[in-house]
Amino acid sequence: MALARSVALLRWAAGGLRGPVRARRPLWAQVAPGALARPRSTEAAPDVPAEPPAFDAAARYKDKPWEYLETEEYQATYGDKPVWFGYRRNHKGSVPPQKTRKTCLRKGKSVGNPCPICRDRNLFLDFRNVKLLDQFICPHSGVVYHPTITTGVCMKQHKLLTKAIEKARDHGLLWLQVPYVEAPRDDYGTRHPAVSKTPPAPELLRGASWYPWYDWHQPPAAAVARLRRIYKAYLKEDGPPA
Amino acid sequence: MAALGARGWLRGSAAAVPSRLWRAAPALWGRRARGQDAAAGSSDTRPAFTDEAVQNLLYKMTGLNLQKVFRPVKKELKPPKYKLMTEAQLEEATRKAIEEAKEKLRMPPVLNEREPIDDILAEDKILEGTETTKYVFTDLTYSIPHRERFIVVREPSGVLRKASWEERDRMIQIFFPKEGRRVIPPVIFKDEHLATVFQQDRHEDILNMCIAQFEPDSPDYIRVHHRTYDDIEKHAKYDLLRSTRHFGGMVWYLVNRKKTDGLLIDMLHRDLLDDTTSLITLYHMLHPECQSAKEAKEGKLQGVDLIKVFVKSESQKEGYIQLALQAYQEAVATSTAS
Repeated sequence: MALARSVALLRWAAGGLRGPVRARRPLWAQVAPGALARPRSTEAAPDVPAEPPAFDAAARYKDKPWEYLETEEYQATYGDKPVWFGYRRNHKGSVPPQKTRKTCLRKGKSVGNPCPICRDRNLFLDFRNVKLLDQFICPHSGVVYHPTITTGVCMKQHKLLTKAIEKARDHGLLWLQVPYVEAPRDDYGTRHPAVSKTPPAPELLRGASWYPWYDWHQPPAAAVARLRRIYKAYLKEDGPPA
Repeated sequence: MAALGARGWLRGSAAAVPSRLWRAAPALWGRRARGQDAAAGSSDTRPAFTDEAVQNLLYKMTGLNLQKVFRPVKKELKPPKYKLMTEAQLEEATRKAIEEAKEKLRMPPVLNEREPIDDILAEDKILEGTETTKYVFTDLTYSIPHRERFIVVREPSGVLRKASWEERDRMIQIFFPKEGRRVIPPVIFKDEHLATVFQQDRHEDILNMCIAQFEPDSPDYIRVHHRTYDDIEKHAKYDLLRSTRHFGGMVWYLVNRKKTDGLLIDMLHRDLLDDTTSLITLYHMLHPECQSAKEAKEGKLQGVDLIKVFVKSESQKEGYIQLALQAYQEAVATSTAS
């Protein structure tokens, strides 16, 4: 399978080029797309003025992320392949770790070899750009591809991806195979007192209080007198009744 | 009785006692009664959805396209299985498939909307101000049907009331989960998102999801079904539901509201004369006082004459139906001639 894949890659690399044929490095050897405009060194060049905030390329597709998938830039970078095609994780040994890295961006700095979504800053995982989300779902069985085995995205992006896919399914933009629940056979009577009208208790109807002791009742005179005799030393002159 | 946070459960104490008492007198409440229209039955002149004659007509109209009923779905990939069969074995397999399809095409119930529950059982003013949240007490006895389960809510003001239907459904789903049903209904069933669904021609899928999620007499179930049927009727997409279990419900809805013209035209375009006669028979059963019903009963009309009489008196789009009928008759004439 590895041989077939590498053959397919070579064929794509050799024959898939459209437009002016120039000596172009294959996709996975290129600089991360969208990174060319980003300054490489950490020290800001003092002579170059900062980009005006009115034209911020990164946030351009934030509101309408599906527009990026129609642009020439996207077509030139990815062609017809999914965005994760050709991405290769760097790890020691032949068996990759069961989970991809936790995140590609720590404190604003990206790691070397960022994952397919983090490396292109115009890609946004939104529940509305269904074309991008479809690239991460198998067209035959409907499962979301595993990040370790197939796509190589970092765990944070994978979590956002699953959330976006679930939200798209909730809004009707993506469709799972609807489970077949057979037509219900139970009787739907509403005559049992659990679900039908119970006549309210007579106290509620009359407007009287629920327990008789909710209302104030004058205590028997003998009890009041007894208490007054016991606490004679502490009684104030007016002695409130309550 | 231990109550925790926003939900509590009883361990066979207070609320179980009333259910035991009620269950001791089953004859009083008719525990196995069949739905709301059980009492109506034969005494009512208007036929119900569950009548055998009505069900037969609806089943005939649904059709049985085995390719559509058993179409391939997206699931785990497995290598295909090949079977070598003789003619007899193939017939046997087809017969079994037809039986399975009949089971799959069993129509979900069509019920009236349920009455909302708003009964107060007690008012304990002494509890006012002691709690900040509502407490829901659910009777978790395993052997009672869900419709006989007592579910009550204690409000922070001290009022003990019966839980509303939505609260009941949520609690029952939490403690007795059913497959395909979510505790909080998904957003897709709201009107603004149904439009997206209809645009993608996913009427059958949304109806299947609705059956999984809601009870048949809940207002949401009825609303989603009616919106779907209205959209189908508006865009004449009747074929989407043919050979599914929802077709009968749709026809019942349309005939009750006398919106059968589009369906009639669609059937004539597809050369389904038997279905048109069944539809008109059903219409006459449900609206016996209309003109064409009386004429049909007097003259005992069949086939094309029945349609003509129906079209004259009952339809709004008379011209279209006449046209479709003419086209059908020409098609029949040419096919018999050749």
